[in-house]
Amino acid sequence: MFEALMDSAYVKSLPFLFEGLQLTLLITVIGLILGFILGAIMGLARLSKNRLTYGISTVFVEVVRGTPILAQVMFIYFGLSEDLIGVNISGLTAAIIAITINAGAYIAEIVRGAVHSIDRGQFEAGRSLGLTERQTMRYIVWPQAFKRMIPPLGNQFIISLKDTSLFSVIAVGELLYMGRQYFNATAEVFETLVMVCLIYLMITIPTSLILRRIERKLDV
Amino acid sequence: MISVKDLHKSFGDLEVLKGIDAEVQESEVVCVIGPSGSGKSTFLRCLNLLEDITSGEVKIEQDIINDPNTDINRVRSQVGMVFQHFNLFPHMTVLENVTLGPIKVKGTDEQQANDLAMKLLEKVGLEDKAEAYPDSLSGGQKQRAAIARSLAMEPSVMLFDEPTSSLDPELVGDVLGVMKDLAKEGMTMVVVTHEMGFAREVGDRVMFMDEGVVMEEGKPQQIFENPQNPRTQEFLSKIL
Repeated sequence: MFEALMDSAYVKSLPFLFEGLQLTLLITVIGLILGFILGAIMGLARLSKNRLTYGISTVFVEVVRGTPILAQVMFIYFGLSEDLIGVNISGLTAAIIAITINAGAYIAEIVRGAVHSIDRGQFEAGRSLGLTERQTMRYIVWPQAFKRMIPPLGNQFIISLKDTSLFSVIAVGELLYMGRQYFNATAEVFETLVMVCLIYLMITIPTSLILRRIERKLDV
Repeated sequence: MISVKDLHKSFGDLEVLKGIDAEVQESEVVCVIGPSGSGKSTFLRCLNLLEDITSGEVKIEQDIINDPNTDINRVRSQVGMVFQHFNLFPHMTVLENVTLGPIKVKGTDEQQANDLAMKLLEKVGLEDKAEAYPDSLSGGQKQRAAIARSLAMEPSVMLFDEPTSSLDPELVGDVLGVMKDLAKEGMTMVVVTHEMGFAREVGDRVMFMDEGVVMEEGKPQQIFENPQNPRTQEFLSKIL
């Protein structure tokens, strides 16, 4: 019984799948870090009184949120690299760009919402001390807003992690792609996919548990 | 010290201030009273440009504050503001609230800013709350901390926007006490308030505002005991 299990696809696929997991995590983490930077800039731009800044950021957010991420990644990988700039970018680069842009648009709304939720009196109190707009944002509004961003950013991590599975269509060797490679070779479709899903859950469930705890602690 | 000429302020189509003229002398305590919606808070907020001024002129010492060439941050650093809802920074301790302005705006070093802050906290009776966070303070303590925060900038004038209106009645006295001490020390103050006792006792002058204009102004005794304008009479008869 034990030997049968050890010999089955449940176990034998694991080294292969873990290799994919590494790439999945790499894309997610780098994409989210860059996406947060992009999102912070776009989110603050959405609060700007400058029409151009507001306009650009709004178009960005609406276009990215209004189109499927699968179309976006194909656009970046096939459309942009070959037709528009004539440079071939690797699947991995395209995947990271896609997560950055996609998460960036959602994070922009998270940032906008969190900053907007800070009582206007905080801003006024800072400005009446003589702090500049930038200082007020940096020392007063942002630290409070950031706290409120943590739970939705955690959710975005989970969403982006799952979105990386779409990159199997451009042959990025992430978790789902590796799973497909494995069952194509072994025909053990069911067992492999069970393991693929379990590995996703292994990351997402602890993440949401930790998030819930943080949320309770922050009381936001 | 402060000179306001023909100040108008509109929010969209709604004209809230319809031509205010006012002077505040150095060391003077001016109390602004009037029914809600009379524009008195808006007037006060125009004095440090928390509201954009639609037309007219506000001059503080030598600076016309609504002149686009004026460095408004420098002016604001000399004009303290105390809010109805305190607006303390909840992510900072009381001490950090008080030292933020001096450190970031004036470039005071931390040690010096701390010393000054402790002195001010002692003055408002909160020296034992320096390391506390605003959430753990009572309303009266919060407002006194907010006053200390403003004073840390060593302003030449202090603006108070209904500083006791959101306090429980038993906590109002402490805050008014601190304000009274300030007035005695010669601080120039403009106070929007519903505390008629304070206006009468501490104010050098009272301005009665209604419908966006100053209806009547004068010495407290004159306004409270012998108001000339029928609107002033009506207002005072309702609240006294």
